[in-house]
Amino acid sequence: MAESTVIPAAVVAARARRAPWWTRVPDFVYPLAAIVLGLLVWEVACALFKVPLYLLPPPSRIFMGLFANAGLLLNHSWTTLQEILLGFLASIVVGIPLALAIVSFRPVEKSVYPLLVGSQVVPKIALAPLFVVWFGFGTPPKVIVAFLIAFFPIVIDSVVGFRSVELEKLYLIRSMGANWFQVFFKVRLPQALPNILGGLKISITLAVVGAIVGEFIGADKGLGRLLLIANGNMDTVLLFAAVTALTIMGILLFLAIEILERILLPWHVSRRVENLTGTM
Amino acid sequence: MTGSGGAKPLVAATDVSKVYETRDGPVLALDRVSFTVPEGQFLSIVGPSGCGKSTLMLLIAGLLPCSDGTIAVGDVRIDRPYTNLGIVFQEAVLLDWRRVLDNLLLQIEVRHLDKRAYRQRALELLALVGLQGFEHKYPYELSGGMRQRASICRALVHDPPLLLMDEPFGAVDAITRDQLNLDLQHIWLQTRKTVIFITHSIAEAVFLSDRVMVMSARPGRIEAQIDIDLPRPRAFGVRETPEFAAYARQIRRVFEATGIIRDTEGERTTTFVD
Repeated sequence: MAESTVIPAAVVAARARRAPWWTRVPDFVYPLAAIVLGLLVWEVACALFKVPLYLLPPPSRIFMGLFANAGLLLNHSWTTLQEILLGFLASIVVGIPLALAIVSFRPVEKSVYPLLVGSQVVPKIALAPLFVVWFGFGTPPKVIVAFLIAFFPIVIDSVVGFRSVELEKLYLIRSMGANWFQVFFKVRLPQALPNILGGLKISITLAVVGAIVGEFIGADKGLGRLLLIANGNMDTVLLFAAVTALTIMGILLFLAIEILERILLPWHVSRRVENLTGTM
Repeated sequence: MTGSGGAKPLVAATDVSKVYETRDGPVLALDRVSFTVPEGQFLSIVGPSGCGKSTLMLLIAGLLPCSDGTIAVGDVRIDRPYTNLGIVFQEAVLLDWRRVLDNLLLQIEVRHLDKRAYRQRALELLALVGLQGFEHKYPYELSGGMRQRASICRALVHDPPLLLMDEPFGAVDAITRDQLNLDLQHIWLQTRKTVIFITHSIAEAVFLSDRVMVMSARPGRIEAQIDIDLPRPRAFGVRETPEFAAYARQIRRVFEATGIIRDTEGERTTTFVD
């Protein structure tokens, strides 16, 4: 725990011998093996049951389709990516200060909070056509839908984070003579960061959904638009290729936040080395 | 240094009362508490749980307002957080995202002092309590006793004349607690700060202090002030001396007289008095 002790070589060797082989495999192997297995089953099933191409293409065809349409997919992905990032950034810029206002001022909390929760009940997919009418077929409606879906978890998680400062920490920093800014930047914000980052992880995935929903309603570019075209043409290979591209994009965005978390929170309990206490 | 000397006291509380608003109505936590603390004295405040001793400390620090009465530290009347002191709570309250040294230097940063100038002092304080080599560890890598030692160093790094400690060793195991008592005495003898030390351990109070203030149960009042005239430095063995036992007995008698301790051994009664 505190002082480091040298573990006798004999004990190290014994531990290594007794550890089951599956604990010595690196973590990333597990999901990779599961995916490969799944793809194999899929491929074999398609061949075995002679599934028509338009119904369910085998993975091999989808990979070929990915490379064949690489340019197209990249082009549309870029459009969608821009919408996602703008919506995501907007939800941070609006969400975090809003959370701060809710935590700092009772009247704000009492008036805004119920409205916030209520607004989440309204399905954005119902509002999206309205945004197209107001803002046209370009980027804005998609960004707005992405923002509306994505900013709620950020607000909620940030509120929880800002509220989670223990009273003693505030007493301590006040007795040092800290002003509001020092209290916020030295205590409140770092304390809230694990919660905020958790909210960001959820939000980024919702921003992806929001952008696609916006594109479904009215767009001339983007992966969502591409999905609709592929659907209309019964080009299932392209459909799957587009879905794959979208999934890869979503995973990369999520990983970006994970990496940010790793950099910002080396001290946090969630980042510590797992030990004998199990998978929790 | 015992008793209240002729010089002006560092801390003076006059008729201090504190009322809390609770769901069941107002609660009187402190009832007209008055006392003074001369400079350089180690004062312990002993009392049962809920008697208002922690509240008293927060009032002295200016972190809570008095409902009545006044508190003065030096020439300053306390009506806002008083910053020329060091404060230690029952939990170490270190910032988890800062390494130990940076936690100490937080005191310096907030006060806009020169970090480089105080860095050496911080390292020396850590060495004084046996934490050399741990400056760059995160708090989660330290044990509870080590974290509390670090927080004591943090309270001293800016060299304040007054130290407030609210049951600082309460969350620590008994063996570590004994060691921390010795460490604290060691630091105090080196620096001779004015210390107000809150505890519910009679032995700890007698061991560490020049004077002990005994408080009643809620609403908190001062029942007795006892000067501890044991020579310093005090080794652990002093706890077995008859003089020590006499002081502890004196304090315990106050608790018995006010019903805080009910010693029914001699009465052979089986009824519980609530």
